[in-house]
This record gives sequence, C-alpha cells and structure tokens, in this order.
Amino acid sequence: MFAKIKKRDGREVHFDDSKITDAIFKAARSVGGEDRETAMELTLGVLRMLKQQSNGQVFGVEDVQDVVEKILIEKGHAKTAKAYILYRDRRSRVRDAKGELMDVVEDIVKETDRDNANVGNSPSAKMLQIASAASRRYYLTRLIDEDYSLAHSRGDIHIHDLDFYATTCNCLQIPLEKLLKEGFNTGHGYIRPPKRPASATSLAAIILQSSQNDMFGGQSFPFFDKQIAPSMDGADEDKVYQAMEALVFNLNSMHSRAGSQVPFSSINLGTDTSEEGRGVTRNFLLAYEAGLGRGENPIFPNVIFRVKKGVSFDPQDPNYDLFQLAVRVASKRLNPTFSFMDSSFNKPYDDQVAYMGCRTRTMDNRRGPAVTTGRGNLSFTTINLPRLGIKAERNMKTFYRLLDEVTELTINQLYHRFQVQCRLKVKDLPFVMGQGMYLGSEDLKPDDSIEPAIVNGTLTVGFIGLAEMLVALTGYHHGQSKDSQQLGLEIVNYLRRKTDEACERFNLNYTLLATPAEGTCGRYVRLDRKEYGIIPGITNQEYYTNSYHIPVHFPISSFDKISLEGPYHRFCNAGHISYVEFAAPPQHNPEAVEAIIRHMAESDMGYGGINYPVDFCCNCGLQGVINEPNCPRCGSADIRRIRRITGYLSTIDRFNDGKVEELKHRLPHS
Amino acid sequence: MKIRVAGIEKESVVDGPGLRFVIFVQGCTRHCSGCHNPDTWDFYGGQEMDTGEILAQIGEGRLNRGVTFSGGEPFEQVAACALLAEQIKPLGMDIVTYSGYTFEELQTKSLADEDVKRLLEATDILVDGPFIAEERDWDLPFRGSRNQRLILVHESLAAGMAVQAE
Ligand code: SF4
Ligand SMILES: [Zn+2]
Repeated sequence: MFAKIKKRDGREVHFDDSKITDAIFKAARSVGGEDRETAMELTLGVLRMLKQQSNGQVFGVEDVQDVVEKILIEKGHAKTAKAYILYRDRRSRVRDAKGELMDVVEDIVKETDRDNANVGNSPSAKMLQIASAASRRYYLTRLIDEDYSLAHSRGDIHIHDLDFYATTCNCLQIPLEKLLKEGFNTGHGYIRPPKRPASATSLAAIILQSSQNDMFGGQSFPFFDKQIAPSMDGADEDKVYQAMEALVFNLNSMHSRAGSQVPFSSINLGTDTSEEGRGVTRNFLLAYEAGLGRGENPIFPNVIFRVKKGVSFDPQDPNYDLFQLAVRVASKRLNPTFSFMDSSFNKPYDDQVAYMGCRTRTMDNRRGPAVTTGRGNLSFTTINLPRLGIKAERNMKTFYRLLDEVTELTINQLYHRFQVQCRLKVKDLPFVMGQGMYLGSEDLKPDDSIEPAIVNGTLTVGFIGLAEMLVALTGYHHGQSKDSQQLGLEIVNYLRRKTDEACERFNLNYTLLATPAEGTCGRYVRLDRKEYGIIPGITNQEYYTNSYHIPVHFPISSFDKISLEGPYHRFCNAGHISYVEFAAPPQHNPEAVEAIIRHMAESDMGYGGINYPVDFCCNCGLQGVINEPNCPRCGSADIRRIRRITGYLSTIDRFNDGKVEELKHRLPHS
Repeated sequence: MKIRVAGIEKESVVDGPGLRFVIFVQGCTRHCSGCHNPDTWDFYGGQEMDTGEILAQIGEGRLNRGVTFSGGEPFEQVAACALLAEQIKPLGMDIVTYSGYTFEELQTKSLADEDVKRLLEATDILVDGPFIAEERDWDLPFRGSRNQRLILVHESLAAGMAVQAE
C-alpha cells in the first residue's frame, strides 16, 4: 500500500506494516493481551486511516504512531493504548539520549579538578572518555535491540564493556611459546624469535601490549613457566632474574589498554618441573617480591600460582619449594593468587586450567579442542539478582519466573553480541587474529570473518548480589543461615543449568560467571533505591556484594567464609574466586597464609587469594598499614596505598565510589 | 573464672606465628610512652568475660594455630590467664604471651607466685619487655621495639637463661 516510510533521521526505508502489528501486539501483551489477530485487524484500521489522510506523501514514523494511538482509542482498547503511549514515550526518551550525551561530554570537559579520576585528567584520557560515552549511547540507541537496551538502562542486566560492543572481544590466553618460536609481526615489522632471556621477556611484554590493543579485557600467559622456558636454555640464574625483573618493570610502565592504561596482564605458572621452567617461576617470584624501583608493590601482572598435588603442594613434591616461595611472596605483595588444579572440576584437565586476574576461566569447548591457550571470553553480561529477589516478594514461584525471563533475555543478548562480533574481519583484530593467536584463526585471510575462531570463545552470563537476593527472599543471607546457603546453591546451580541448556540451543560455549562487580555493584544499588527505597540488608549499603561472596561487612571467620563460598566455585565454570581479608599484611607470617590456601583447596575452590591493605611510604620504604595521612616513621605524606579491586591490584585513589565504599566496610574475617 | 579483657581478635596474623586467636587482657601499670593500646591501661575498663566463654570461642577458630595473650599485661591477671592457657594446650594449640616484664623478672616472680610459674610454663613463646619508643623498629616480626625478645620458654627454663627464637 505504502512503499516507504520516513525515519526520524530523515532516511526513507521500506514500509513494513508487520512492524505496526508488532508494536500493537507488544503493547497489548504488556497488559495481558494474547491475541495477535486483533493486532492485525487494528493494523488494517491504521492503514485505512493513513490512506484517507494520504495525498501521495511519504509518512513519517511519528505520523504513523499518532494514527495507531487514535485507532486504539477509537476501537475501545484503552489499556493497550495507554501501554502504547508509554512505550512511545520511553522510545523518545531513548532518543533524547543524544541530548544526554552532550551533557555527559560537558561534564567530562568541565571536570578538571577531580583529584582521583579513573584514568587521569590528561587530554587523551578525556577524549577517550568522550569516545566511550558516545559509543555507549550509539550502541544502546542504534545497534542493540530495545529489549536489551532498556534492560541494561533499567539495571535488570549490565552489559559489560558496552563501549566495545561491536568492535572486539574480551580477553585471551596467549600462545606465547608459538610466537616466541615462530616470530611475529606487530604491524610495524617482523620480529625474530629471541635468543637471550632478556629479549624473550621483553618480547613477552610487547606481545601483551599488542594483543591488549586488539581487545578490551585481560591478557594472560596461561603457562608462563613452560612457555618461556625454552628461551632460558643454558642461561645462568642472574640472567634469568634480570629478564624477569625487566618484565615486571615493563608491565608496570607500558601503556596500551584503550590507549591510556597499563595492559591488564596475568601470568599463570608453577607446575613446570623442568630445570628451566623452575628457574622461570623462581626468578619471576623473586623479582616480583623485590618490587619496583624503590621497592614499591608491583601492580601488574596478576600472578596465579598453580597448586597441584604431586607437583607443587606437598613437601615431597618437586615444586614444593616454589609453592613455599609463592606463599612467602603472597604474604608481602598480595600476589600471587592460587589456582587449584585438584578441585573436582579442574582435575579432569590435569594442570591445564588457567585463570586471569578478572577470574576468567575458559576450558570446555563444544566447537574445538578443550584447551586453555588461544581462547578467552567473548563478552559477559551480569544479572541483578537482588532486584529479582525484591520483586518476587518472597514468592519462590514468582522468583523463578522472573529469573527465567531475565536469564533468557541475557542469553539472547549475548547471542546478539556474538553475531555482531562475527561481522568483524581478521584485519579488524590484526594482531590477535592476523597473527593466528586465536584458536581457529590460523588459516584465515585478512578479509575473512573471525567467526571460525571465536566459536571457540565463551559467551558468559554473570550474576552479582546473591547475598542481598537471599535476604530479600528469606530474610537472611548465606552467612547467616544454613537454609539460605542451601537456597543460594540451588539458585546458582539453576543458573548453571540454564547456561548449559543455552550451549545446546545455540551450539556455542555459554558459561556462568561469578562476576567481579566492577562499577556495577554501585550502579545497581542506586537504581534499585530509586525504585524500591532503602531496604535493610538489601539496598542499605552503597553496593551489592560480589557474585556469591559473603557480604564484606559481615563478621565471619576465614574458615567459615571459605567453607561457605567453596561449593559455588564448581557451578561458575566461566570463573570464580574467593578472598580472605586480613587486617594487616601477614609479612612475617607465611604460615598463616598457607593455612588459608590449604583450606581453600580442601573446600573445592578453583581460585583464591588473600587481601590486606598495603600502604607504602615512597620516602622511607615503610610498608604496612598506615592509617594516618603521614608516614609514622618519617612523616612523609607521599603514601602509596594498594588494594585489590575486581581481581587486579590498584592504587587506592583509582577506585570508583562503589568500591571505596566497599573497602571502607571490608572487615577482616574474625 | 572471670577475666577482664580489652577485646578479642579471632584471627590475627601479627601476634605470633600462624593464624592466632588473641586475647587483649585489660589493665597495665607500665604506661610506656608510645604504647599502642592506652585504652588497655585502666583495670576497670574493657569488659568482664568468663574464661569458659572465651574457651568456647577459641574452639570455633578451626584454622588457628594458637592463642596469644596480649595486653594490657597478662601477668596482672595471671590466674585466669594460666587457667585458660592450661585448658587451651589440650586442644593442640600453642601459646604466645606478651609481657612488659622481662623473662628474668618473671622468673624471679615465679618463685613467689605459683600462677606466674603456671602461665610461664604453659607459654611456648614469650615476647618480653616494655615497648620503648626510641627502640622502635618497623621491620621486626611480631614486636615493636628492638629491646623486646622472642623467647623460647621451654628451652629457656631448661637452660636457666633466656633462649631467643632467632
Ligand atoms: S606494657 Fe604494653 S600495654 Fe602496658 S603500657 Fe607498655 S606497651 Fe602499653
Ligand atoms: Zn616514611
């Protein structure tokens, strides 16, 4: 009838009357209507009225919507009409985002006196923030289906790294040994295989940087000891140490993430028992322990020591000495963290499971070999569990219905993002794909889609606020009540079954993540407070609790915390971690740290770490807890305060608000 | 038996080797300048607890290697501390005791006071001597000033003189 319709931006596109039917039906359904035929009849009415008004011009979208409203009211569908008007209004609010964006830009440009900005106040940092804000707006209003955008904006879900939605994937476990053996091309020329230890580690740093330029998330060496050992062949201890020291220095000074941050690097090691491999682990740990130029605690890389019986865990094991060293370093430097290869879900893979600072774990693979190297997470989206708990009003049936809805939405949104990512070509990720680093990218040409490679990656559903959700459902969180713990396990297990089902449905690697909350913890609470007010035990803190963790402000012994969090690890196959908080650095007390690590292993954990405040006087080198603004030994105000945030170490002035609030409430377990 | 405590820390990493349950005993006559816990001086401050109640709490700390008596001055409420220490030992835990008195002073005291002897004998490591601000050393494990010593009590009692841990 009508060939074209004019969109709001002036473009004329094909007129499709089924879109009118969809919109009417959607409005009808939201008020309980079930009948698409009525919607079709109403569409005919709309078309008829449009025809009457027509004098050959091309109608605009607004014109058509006006007519839909009129028809709905005329034909006596008052409720549907109201829903439709609300829907139009929401849409126009999404469109007003343009104006909103300009406000955001203005804020970024204006805010010159922040003393603790996330990436600093440099001109390039500001430009990046503007680009990021614009990208987010663009994706939410133009690329992502409205259902997903609205769910994200409302805070039902959080689409992580939204500003990179269409341009790349999250993270990678890097095939370092292959690049060192064959050489590689960074885009600025071919780099030959290294001959000396120092050149091998400096290439390793360049590799991390180059792959970070192609991706938004963490970059990791899954078997650093084994991977770099061949380059250490025949080198004496001194040379190996210097090479490792240079690597630590490099990773703390080079900038590349989003052009302005240090790469989010991780290093897994600990189970290579060859002499060279042991030399790598030993010297790397010693270099990390020695710290940076003035002895400061290194921030990067995140270090993950593999614990495995028969290899590194017991006194008779060949790498037991390295485990003891790892514990000593962890007692002073917050790193390493510890990954447990004997836990029920890691054991089937021997010592082949690797983690990253962001806690990501990539193992099962229905589209290729189940290996760690050359794979990573593609993207993840996190569900706001406390909101579901509040909405369910203690009715479990309602809860599961709501949970189904939002999980389904999340799974579909992840699939949408995957399809968008599949449109990327090898030349869009010139290093990661172009150099054949990603599993399955080896034989691809520059103009090929990256799909054959990224089918090996994972699509990940995450969750935060299990504790607050349990309070909403039962009145108690899982630290307070055995029944709540039972229910928590049941719900997380249920989520895992949902992602397993999605694997079958899409033939892709869907996984479940214990989300490190990033900024999301604070954002969800702010949104939920607006909607539901301040509810004790749920929205009364400034943040929701990470994943399945016991709330940081709840007093509990380390033993109990570990015992309660341990059973969740196996459900979260996309990654998990648990921490124990100490009030002071256990510098002289590696024995205490080891006791914790051993109990983590016994509790079937996959990945764990120890947290404590590390305050460092940059003037005299005093390290400990410095509660006052000045150093108690020399009086200097130049204090560097380091804490672990979402898996990576960070100096304290870089935390976002939600996290600072969390830090204030973190209780040492006692 | 009653004991007046300034506080309890269920898992400490800075009051002796391993994870430790720490009892901060209330009351101290020394008033060292630079003392970290001046709220523990007053013998009527803090709160009164039953030793049985404390013992029950100790039993819950499944990762703890031992118990530390800190202060305040444990030897000012020596009967209660000695009783607790003797009840803790059968749990397989060791005892660290902090005191403003030196080992030698305590040895002398123990001749006249049976409870001092009991607490001393139940203690594995004694951190002895007052905190002296001029002797402050930030890098010492488990103690604040250089004059303070980590004394292996059993070895010392056997040898009749202070034997230090390192
Ligand atoms: S002996 Fe200990 S508690 Fe008493 S004043 Fe001296 S430092 Fe403080
Ligand atoms: Zn200083």
